[in-house]
Amino acid sequence: MKLNNLLQLPFLLTPFLTPAIAEHTSNWAVLVSTSRFWFNYRHLANVLSLYRTVKRLGIPDSQIILMLPDDMACNPRNAFPGTVYSNADRAVDLYGDNIEVDYRGYEVTVENFIRLLTDRVGEEMPRSKRLLTDDRSNILVYMTGHGGNEFLKFQDAEEISAFDLADAFEQMWEKKRYHELLFMIDTCQANTMYSKFYSPNIIATGSSEIDQSSYSHHADNDVGVAVIDRYTYYNLDFLETQVREPSSKKTVGDLFDSYDEAKIHSHPGIRWDLFPGGEEAGRNRLLMDFFGNVQNVEVDNVGNDMEWKEDLLLLGKKIADLKERAEGVDAAQNSTMAPVRDNHASKRIRAAKVATDERWWAKKAVAVLGLAGLSGVWFAGLYLS
Amino acid sequence: MRQLPSLLLLLVLSACVFASSDYHEQLVLKPLHPSLLLASFNFQSKTSWASFEQQNFRYFPRSLGQILQHANTRELHLRFSLGRWDAESWGARPWGGTREGGTGVELWAWVEADTDEEAEGRWLTLTNALSGLFCASLNFIDSTRTTRPVMSFQPAEQYSNSSSENLHLLHGTLPREVVCTENLTPFLKLLPCKGKAGISSLLDGHKLFDASWQSMSIDVTPVCVPGTSECQLQITHTIDMVLDIQRSKRPRDNPIPRPVANEDLKCDTSKPYHSHDTCYPLDTSAQEEDWSLSQIFGHSMKGSCPLANDGTDQVCINVPHARNVFASSGAAEHKDESGYSRCYEVPADQDFELALPQQEISEKVPIEQPLLYAERSFIGYGQERGGVQAILTNPSLIDAVDFVYMESLPWFMKLYLHTLKAKISNGNGKSSKDDVIQEMYYQPALDRKRGTQLEVRILIPANSTVILTYDFEKAILRYTEYPPDANRGFDIAPAVITIGNDISIRTTTLLLPLPTPDFSMPYNVIILTSTVMALGFGSVLNLLVRRFVGVDEAEKWDLRAIRFKVAAMVAALVRKFRRRRDHTE
Repeated sequence: MKLNNLLQLPFLLTPFLTPAIAEHTSNWAVLVSTSRFWFNYRHLANVLSLYRTVKRLGIPDSQIILMLPDDMACNPRNAFPGTVYSNADRAVDLYGDNIEVDYRGYEVTVENFIRLLTDRVGEEMPRSKRLLTDDRSNILVYMTGHGGNEFLKFQDAEEISAFDLADAFEQMWEKKRYHELLFMIDTCQANTMYSKFYSPNIIATGSSEIDQSSYSHHADNDVGVAVIDRYTYYNLDFLETQVREPSSKKTVGDLFDSYDEAKIHSHPGIRWDLFPGGEEAGRNRLLMDFFGNVQNVEVDNVGNDMEWKEDLLLLGKKIADLKERAEGVDAAQNSTMAPVRDNHASKRIRAAKVATDERWWAKKAVAVLGLAGLSGVWFAGLYLS
Repeated sequence: MRQLPSLLLLLVLSACVFASSDYHEQLVLKPLHPSLLLASFNFQSKTSWASFEQQNFRYFPRSLGQILQHANTRELHLRFSLGRWDAESWGARPWGGTREGGTGVELWAWVEADTDEEAEGRWLTLTNALSGLFCASLNFIDSTRTTRPVMSFQPAEQYSNSSSENLHLLHGTLPREVVCTENLTPFLKLLPCKGKAGISSLLDGHKLFDASWQSMSIDVTPVCVPGTSECQLQITHTIDMVLDIQRSKRPRDNPIPRPVANEDLKCDTSKPYHSHDTCYPLDTSAQEEDWSLSQIFGHSMKGSCPLANDGTDQVCINVPHARNVFASSGAAEHKDESGYSRCYEVPADQDFELALPQQEISEKVPIEQPLLYAERSFIGYGQERGGVQAILTNPSLIDAVDFVYMESLPWFMKLYLHTLKAKISNGNGKSSKDDVIQEMYYQPALDRKRGTQLEVRILIPANSTVILTYDFEKAILRYTEYPPDANRGFDIAPAVITIGNDISIRTTTLLLPLPTPDFSMPYNVIILTSTVMALGFGSVLNLLVRRFVGVDEAEKWDLRAIRFKVAAMVAALVRKFRRRRDHTE
């Protein structure tokens, strides 16, 4: 009895520990670089550093969608084969020994990106290339590339507009494909990319205002090109120095407060108005809610310890029943050798009758009246002029 | 209690099944000239057909097994390759070339299906599933890149006639596909020891993708016992790479070659002009390079894989017996009688290291001469037409070579079959008109639906060269069909040369430049058209719906006039209504 009470303690405490609102049960990350060609090395390095960060904080490869439009690690121009560095000190090899790239090369297109978000894919699409989220999934969407006012270029061949992105997120919301979404973008005039969002539960941040460029941080002379962008560099700097383990209590507000325009050389933007509770609630969200994989498991009908016993009893009965039946069949076969007819009566689902609308005529009448009214107004206008 | 004997029986049975599913792995190291090292990794395991059907996987990777079952695939060959095998200085290819593919990704499989359409559907399922598993764009193998070779590929096992009727061979290549660490990662995860122990612990992307030539392959083939219906499924993973010893020895954090300090230069002091500021490099070709496993692969081998316990030696090295080779203390050395090979049995629990010191040695392992040299290149000029020339040389002085040459060309490279010519010249430089083409299979391309497939059976007499040429026309693509880097050119899949059943050679890929449009042109057109449309449509609309009046008349047509009229009418109505009410009161 004592033990029972003890076991129930956590459940009694839960209402006090966690807020009553629904929490997320899974974390996903969609990390997209949209630039091809060797001189855009830094965009792939940006994305790969984010990939290492979310992996470090616990999101598994199966829940990270990584899009790399070009091959930097095994590029013939790379003096460091199989590696991508985001810092001239070359302390961390971002490509490493264990990496899974989901979309690469020519697969990184606007169409594939939108299809990924909205899950409008063919049935042959493997699971590793799909965003299998639900209404309890927190998603981190990070994009980087070359962009402009309300667009972002994909591989120098096509572009995604801020409207496309906003509509894709709205469709995700309608399809219950996310719980909360953190959108980060590092490109020129980045803040225009999230200006058209209209779906709830989104926190958005970008590297630069309209008419502002985003700049690279520094170059590595042996790699030969710039290795990381400023905005991403300072984001990473915060995540690496302040968010060191999955139990970190740093909030989204802390990260945004760390942005220093003097260092980033552009004005990072933040959008709170879509988030329920606005800035106040958004600021208090833990960074781990988006960058880490803290899972809160929900158990239905907690405390009903009779249920599984009943299930077990039912299962036992079923097995006994099946055994009896099998023995009966065996006996029948042995005695008569007659073919045993299949016991299962074939069930067919009949086509359901289409429900007819009782108020069809009434609706027609309303429509006719409406049309008549409109034409009346039209004629009145004509007469008056 | 009654179940106990049956449980025991089950255990015994499963033990029998496990015993039949063996696994072995082997690494063969072979120094090549000059200062190169060929490392061939081979991992092989078998599973009985019955346990495969029941999804009873042990050494066979479950993820791959389920894909094969889902796509009804009987036999699978997947290749990831990079670089060029230099046959003239390196000799014959490892495994007779059967475990390598053309540059990029190559896939062929025997799929079980009743109709062609069903086979194509399953092929689509297979390519997409494999693209997810191996992080490669295999889903780009669509109908235009798929061929059904007729003469070039043979199944590993000759199936009985009834089952071979519904087996479909499909072959696809992606010559542009990049091969990098993300392809090696899933590859290692399929191995029983997963790169943690055994020879697979030496596999490191940083070294593999720095190789002069490398090829990763996976073959799943049925192996049947002759005369019985009992079959096993064999999976073979192979990784071959040719490493530059000097390049591999550079430290990973500083791989860029820097000038050697003066005091470290090795000079030929016998030269008369040798002085403190003049140095002629010493000829070191007679000297064998010093190297060790940890220098070449970055670290030593982490013991042997405990699952590979069938008695095969895990590491072999092909050097003359006179060459000094030092191995870790726990390893047992077995020298081969041929005089050019020795193998090591590696203990499971301790690291294994192999070191070869610098040594002056004249004896070399003889180079195995390949049966055929093949090279292929573009000829011709201009944006409209071009030609391909393949030079096939039989180096043997005695034997003729009979082989099948297969080309699968994209649809936008339109082959003119009537220009296909084979010119033969023997070793004395004399050319003859003998017809060397024995047999031919040709399937012309259909625009945007299927590529050209050409298979030619050729017989080259001893000590002769055949030059195969044909012309083609370049198609003009639609604007949206160009890739983002269209000006780089389009990669053409290598030609596959099959000699008998167990030798194959692939040529290098070709880079075909196609005429490319000015990609900003459509925007210019859109802008210009929009302007014309706006001007034209705007003026016509104005003429239709607007009434043009003089400035002095405008007062009459003012919107205010209508408003006043309406107001006056309303006021009149209200007045009328009021008056009536007054009357009634």
